[in-house]
Amino acid sequence: MQHIINFLIKYRNLLLYLILFSVALVFTIQSHEYQRTMFIHSTGNVTGALLEKRNTFYEYFDLDQQNEYLSSENARLRMRLLALGDTLLGSETTLIFSDSLPYKVIPARVIKNGYDKLDNFITLDIGSNQDIEPDMGVITSNGLVGIIDVTSADYSRVISILNSEMSLNAQIKGTSTIGSLTWDGSDPYIMNLIDVPRRAIVSKGDTIITGYQSTTFPPDIEIGVVENVVLVDNGSRYDIQVRLLNNMTDLGYVYVIKNRDKEAIQIIDTLQINE
Amino acid sequence: MIYVLFIFLYPFENNRLLFLILAFLLGLVMDTFQDTGGAHAAASVTLTFVRPYLLKLVYGESYKMKNIKVLTTGIDRIFLLLLLCIVIHHLMFYSLVIFNSSQLFQLLKMTLSVGLATILVSMTIILLIKPRRS
Repeated sequence: MQHIINFLIKYRNLLLYLILFSVALVFTIQSHEYQRTMFIHSTGNVTGALLEKRNTFYEYFDLDQQNEYLSSENARLRMRLLALGDTLLGSETTLIFSDSLPYKVIPARVIKNGYDKLDNFITLDIGSNQDIEPDMGVITSNGLVGIIDVTSADYSRVISILNSEMSLNAQIKGTSTIGSLTWDGSDPYIMNLIDVPRRAIVSKGDTIITGYQSTTFPPDIEIGVVENVVLVDNGSRYDIQVRLLNNMTDLGYVYVIKNRDKEAIQIIDTLQINE
Repeated sequence: MIYVLFIFLYPFENNRLLFLILAFLLGLVMDTFQDTGGAHAAASVTLTFVRPYLLKLVYGESYKMKNIKVLTTGIDRIFLLLLLCIVIHHLMFYSLVIFNSSQLFQLLKMTLSVGLATILVSMTIILLIKPRRS
């Protein structure tokens, strides 16, 4: 007994180190899993409020750029609206303003953005008080940003598309060829479209858009442009490098997409599986 | 990454248990802000644990007797100790963040570039707060 106590006293530093290190290791391993219930993240009230304070300060240096983005987007939307006004007659124009639209768009501000790690996360300044739920899609006016992961009352965390765990359904514009969009962790401007069959017709400069199979994002959102096409696995599949249209290293305002029909689609999908 | 300076400048003491716990909590705070799980905590606890051995390496066996502070020693000793501390801390941190043995090159690249930046900023701060010999 005396020996055990002596041993414990002698090596107490080593023991404490090992305990603390394994606790930290458990947190790390947890953070590398996709669906997790972790409590070390940046959506807490204190951390969220601090990050927001910091952001209001940094925002001033970015005002010119953000104004430019917003005005160019306004112009684009106005163009669409004019085209729509041309085609819709009389009472049908009110369709645009009715509640029965399939997608609800909620604007949000990025208060923390990351792109230098293998698994990156973004923190937004809206949360479950603004009807934000996990698994909703996040986009900008130029392309995709990510998927909501954790929400608290006033803040929410987004799994960035620059995350090695992320795999998105994407499609080559003009064809119905689909593939999975993933990130290899090296370049924040480039993503890879993998599992594209060899018979697909693809060439450099083609546009990649979101597919119809996803319930998170609306279809036909432009993601990026094909940069390089390589045949892999003995020439059975294509591996396509996609240059992203939006700049993930410079995010200011984003839009969260809420799909009205999501639950209905998922119920139908699970019915097919149970059959 | 400047918080490594806290572990670097902590006074030489025998109460290493408290020091380990403080370093762990500091790392955990960094983790909550950066969404890195427990990588900061693990790296700073490791650095805290090996610091006495580094001190022995840099200042010789008798560093405990002399009752010196890191800040008051020569600039070459400080630089050597800082270099060792930051290499260990950043290697640990990025191997946990990247967590993938196939990306060893990426790991070394990140350690080198971020490490250099950290050393530059840390040396500047040290030079600013270092008491001048009168």
